[in-house]
Amino acid sequence: MLANKTIAMLLQEWQQDATMQARIAYQQTLPAVPAKYAAFPPELHASLRHALTMRGIERLYTHQREAFDLAMAGQSFTAITPTASGKSYCYHLPVLQTILHNDKARALYLFPTKALAQDQMNDLSALIEAMEVPILSYTYDGDTAPGLRTKVRQAGHIVMTNPDMLHTGILPHHTKWVSLFENLAFIVIDELHTYKGVFGSHVAHVIRRLLRICRYYGSTPTIICTSATIKNPKQLAETLTATPHQLIANSGAPVGKKTFIFYNPPLVNPAFGVRRSAVLEASHVAKQLYTAGIQTIIFAKSRVRVEMIVTYLQELTKRKIQDESIKGYRGGYLPSERRIIEKGLRDGSIQTVVSTNALELGVDIGQLQACIMTGYPGTIASAWQQAGRAGRRQSEALIIYVAQSTALDQYIIENPAFLLGQAPEEARIYPENMMILMDHLKCAAFELPFMTTDSYGGYDIQDLLAYLAEQGVLFKTSDQWHWMSDRFPAHDISLRSASQENVIIIDKTIPASTTVIGEMDRHSAMTLLHEEAIYLHQGIQYQVEELDWEEKKAYVREVDVDYYTDANLAVEMKVLDEDRSTQWQGNAIGYGDVGLVAQATIFKKIRFNTHDNIGSGPIHLPPDEMHTSATWLSFMSFNEWNEEELTDAMTGAAYAMSAFIPIFIQCDSNDIAVVPQVKATHSEMPTFFIYDKYPGGIGLSEKVYDIWPRLIEKTYQHVAHCACDAGCPSCIGAQETFINAKANVKTLLKKLQQVAQADEAGHDEI
Amino acid sequence: MSYEKQMMLLKKQLKKAKDVARPTFKRPIPPPYVAAWEKAGLTAYTNDFGTYFLREVYYDKSMIHGHFTLAEYFTAKQKIQEAQVIHPLVSDQELVFFDTETTGLKGVGTQIFLMGELHEEEEGFRLKQYVQADPAHEAAMLFATSMWRESTPIVTYNGKSFDWPQLETRFTLHRQQLPPLKKRAHIDLLHTTRRLWKKDMTSMKLTTIEEDKLGFTRDNDIPGFLAPIIYADAVRSGVPDQLMAVLQHNEWDLLSLITLYTQSVYLVLEEAKDNVITHTNVGKWYADLKDHERSQAILQRVTTNTAYQDTYDAYFYLAWQYKKNKQPQQAYEAFQQALPQLAEVQQLQAYEELAKLSEHTYKDYEKALEYCNEAIQCIMMSTRLKNPTRANKLVAWQKRQRRLGTKIAQQTKIN
Repeated sequence: MLANKTIAMLLQEWQQDATMQARIAYQQTLPAVPAKYAAFPPELHASLRHALTMRGIERLYTHQREAFDLAMAGQSFTAITPTASGKSYCYHLPVLQTILHNDKARALYLFPTKALAQDQMNDLSALIEAMEVPILSYTYDGDTAPGLRTKVRQAGHIVMTNPDMLHTGILPHHTKWVSLFENLAFIVIDELHTYKGVFGSHVAHVIRRLLRICRYYGSTPTIICTSATIKNPKQLAETLTATPHQLIANSGAPVGKKTFIFYNPPLVNPAFGVRRSAVLEASHVAKQLYTAGIQTIIFAKSRVRVEMIVTYLQELTKRKIQDESIKGYRGGYLPSERRIIEKGLRDGSIQTVVSTNALELGVDIGQLQACIMTGYPGTIASAWQQAGRAGRRQSEALIIYVAQSTALDQYIIENPAFLLGQAPEEARIYPENMMILMDHLKCAAFELPFMTTDSYGGYDIQDLLAYLAEQGVLFKTSDQWHWMSDRFPAHDISLRSASQENVIIIDKTIPASTTVIGEMDRHSAMTLLHEEAIYLHQGIQYQVEELDWEEKKAYVREVDVDYYTDANLAVEMKVLDEDRSTQWQGNAIGYGDVGLVAQATIFKKIRFNTHDNIGSGPIHLPPDEMHTSATWLSFMSFNEWNEEELTDAMTGAAYAMSAFIPIFIQCDSNDIAVVPQVKATHSEMPTFFIYDKYPGGIGLSEKVYDIWPRLIEKTYQHVAHCACDAGCPSCIGAQETFINAKANVKTLLKKLQQVAQADEAGHDEI
Repeated sequence: MSYEKQMMLLKKQLKKAKDVARPTFKRPIPPPYVAAWEKAGLTAYTNDFGTYFLREVYYDKSMIHGHFTLAEYFTAKQKIQEAQVIHPLVSDQELVFFDTETTGLKGVGTQIFLMGELHEEEEGFRLKQYVQADPAHEAAMLFATSMWRESTPIVTYNGKSFDWPQLETRFTLHRQQLPPLKKRAHIDLLHTTRRLWKKDMTSMKLTTIEEDKLGFTRDNDIPGFLAPIIYADAVRSGVPDQLMAVLQHNEWDLLSLITLYTQSVYLVLEEAKDNVITHTNVGKWYADLKDHERSQAILQRVTTNTAYQDTYDAYFYLAWQYKKNKQPQQAYEAFQQALPQLAEVQQLQAYEELAKLSEHTYKDYEKALEYCNEAIQCIMMSTRLKNPTRANKLVAWQKRQRRLGTKIAQQTKIN
């Protein structure tokens, strides 16, 4: 029997509960914010007004009205739209209004994935149906039937697609889309915040190509972006679209009262800093919410963990027949399955849903009362998005963050203000990456010949075109560069990676029907796709059975194991070019281009949660050369330390630093790496290198160049405050033999801190 | 130097720049190799949009290409026009044979660099091959051709999905300069060739058809996939030697289309001999064109004049004609004749028709049940049928099986 308690009642109970109180490290309540409304715009078309009224909407939220007014004035804008704030009206209303007045007008909607486009399609169709007007909207992607394609190209008022399809399926065939490009009034980019890193940098070029084609056909579309809360939405939108944007920062949608609880599982091994499994603790808390009758969503990082939590929770219902009140929700669900879960959540027959991070992205499952995060999802922005799943309009919400033993998770427990008190990270893109720029320059040249007076993406590209002509790809006539190759360049360029030479990942779980499930750049593949590696794809674990390095193919098979693999990469760094540097007393910080030779050496199998090393093996792969950007810090050696002591201290410090870089710059921990070198070739001094793990660099290490002092300070504080005795996975990595490790790392960081601060205090950049 | 290293070098030179407006169209200057190309047999011309090259050849009616003289094309065309049939090969207009060579396979970056047209004339044919002087002179070549001026039907090989859409792309791209391309009637001989030689020829490549069906073999032909590289080389080096081989290739393609048209007409009119598969295909083709009378007559001739073991397909199509003409007895017999050797899908259709005729026309439920059981057997043994089609078919047949079972039981009770 479920008790129908309110969140307030439950919180009160927990206050009396000593065990709970011991684990709640911090609790804070954010007050409710009422809705802010604006009237329908007076010019709003009667049929739109009618359709909205049919849906029970009598007025707009202020941000929707602001969006409408800007869009109708032809001003590109970006709207920050929290979950459940009615973001799609920000673009649907002006787009439909425009088409109602001009039947020729067209709009192109971009969603980061096919599934999201199809989701939004259903929503838009319903709206158009209620309007009772003949406006044609279609999705255009790999699933679009060949028979329908011509109709979409010629007659679709609103075409919904994804960047990959735009890149390979639409832009290189723009002559078939004349009626779209001649009349394109709006480009809508939904989920703007997902366009970051390498993917975002590629998409920035796809948009540049799109706008180039629009100019050719004489249209100047207004660009509408919607984004989750990030630090730099306007800057991201402007870099992505190469167009000035207005920002709509204030949502008029109401927000209910939210209580945040920071929950730290108890220490089971204080010496090694190991805490009880976050998965078990999250399940434990979820159980209490279930019995209290509170609708809850639990986020876990992988499909395996989702399964663990679901299995654990279903103990609660095992005696009931056909009980569907607890559900797992992973990536790869069919729309029909999703509809069933959504419906279950709405009508209350599903009470608890356990999801991978896949659900973060736009998919609308409605709002729940409580959210449990199993571990820090990696970025503040993601954490807020997950938290946003809890809290129906006006009503109270509960968000519980259950920490893991990792450095970052524990740091957040110690510093709740990190999550609650600061703006989410920047989402950064770097369209200047030469590899990416060059790839899209080829596509652009294929789509329309460049003139000898043309620039592209804000750059003078004549030298680059000359290079392509030398390579036999282009042909120069008196005033134009023409594509002159039988290749179709868009097919050779994947938007989801930086280097062209990718390793294809092939799933051969079912031998009769092997499928390609993904691809990875060569450099990352060395440490993530070596034989016996555990490769995670959409939360599913695969083991690499064979890596064919010559053919660039990795064959994987689905497995279910309780460990992950971690490979050692021996890296040699060579500074090729110093773009920026500061020096004092023989110490130096620099930024520039580096060449690195990397060789994967061995890998370890590490058990989840406990981080025990449970096995290892050699990796046989040839060394790989990569050119990228890096920042480095060289310092005077300590005379009192021998080389071994210095190596160990630097390794520990590098471990701790790498865990903290994502705090300062929004990136995946796989995007960037820290390498300690006791004697760097360029300076002959002990040096820390922090480099972008993508060929050509993606602008991450340049950001780190500016924050060395803060990075070292944060790292030092964390290591110093860590409860362990001699180093643990939460701070400097598990230590096997070296007794003084933690003390030495602290000494080293302390010294570096002085060095870096001295730098900040007054040394001019040279 | 590795690609990455070169990129790092280029990065050093990268400079910011402002966008400038695209200049309006200016007639490009002629390429430096005009004299060299003229020497090779091309003639340079200039129009408002630039320079193009042209090669013209006249063929007299008496010329032989493969099995036929060109004169026989006119005869064949006349004959099918007078034969009172509704058929895609019929035309009362002058036909233009058309074939292009391109720099790639698809997309706006693929240019047409050679457009070959073959026009009917009083006493023969005239070939006009337009060659793009270089990529900047594309509009000049497009404008020079007859493609946008005339509206008589064109004859191509795979032109409906390749040459014509490519041409549309090029005209769209130059729509500021060029007049629009009009819709034209279009006979795609790849489609008619598939009709004629399906199940007979495994490859529908024009050169294969030439050798097996048209009596023509090419000497020193360049493979078509080399054409893009040859053209790129010709404009880069200015040397046209290899390019002339591409023109030869294009010329053969066009001449073979005349012979192919002639041969196709004769087969369709039963004035040429081919194997039984082809004649069966002709019969089936008329059926699909709704000329059931002609279809039935042809298929009857095939079944009468050919050894039984080669006529299963002919019987199968003939049976449908009987069914259509309400001749159940003949349909039943023809389906039975067809049964021993049919493709799986057709075999199941035959069983279904036989079961239906037995059940509804002859009220022979036992016999119907026999066909029904064989069909089920066939579905069970099938390796080609996939679910859900397989399951759906099985369900439908099992339903029939039960119904027949009931009918037999009732019959036994009455008797």
